[in-house]
Amino acid sequence: MESTLEQHLDDTMKNPAVVGVLCTDQQGHNLGCRGSLSDEHGGVVSVLAKQAAALTRDPTDSPTVCLESESGNILVRTHGTITVAVHKIAS
Amino acid sequence: ILLAQPVSLCCFQTTAALTAGLERIPDQLGYLVISEDGVLASAGELENDEHTAGVMMQMVRTASRFRLPGSAEPPFKRMSVILEDFVYTVTVSGQKVFVVKRQNNQQESISV
Repeated sequence: MESTLEQHLDDTMKNPAVVGVLCTDQQGHNLGCRGSLSDEHGGVVSVLAKQAAALTRDPTDSPTVCLESESGNILVRTHGTITVAVHKIAS
Repeated sequence: ILLAQPVSLCCFQTTAALTAGLERIPDQLGYLVISEDGVLASAGELENDEHTAGVMMQMVRTASRFRLPGSAEPPFKRMSVILEDFVYTVTVSGQKVFVVKRQNNQQESISV
């Protein structure tokens, strides 16, 4: 299972606009990361996703959080029990 | 709402100045202007929405802790929360948090 996740992370990094990717669990533990996103970002990413979920009453509506800055966009979204963050730069 | 005659209520004028730009945003369904002390202004679907205001302030505090290596700038210029039917767009300016709720016209999901 872990090798499948690692493969997905590598495949995501093949997109030239992607400079970082991270997967965390609901506690903010890092399940895998590449590029600009590392262990230290796991906590913030999982908390941000959890807080965003409080903005909708529809449990099937999964919010995407986007942080836009000079150094690109960080996109955060929860899929089931896993939260994924992708760091994209303008391409 | 702008009154034609001069009014002595400085607070009213300050609030009008804060929200004048927000009123003109296309597709906006509502907005909030929040400070550390609480909600300064609200309208539309976000009128008196203390719950959303509280969650947004928490999210701004969380996102402010996000640091990428080698970047000294604030971690974000704008934060968007994209839901199925609408989008919250959040900016921080002069110790105030501006939240706008807009219709989500995007048909396709975001490709990453």
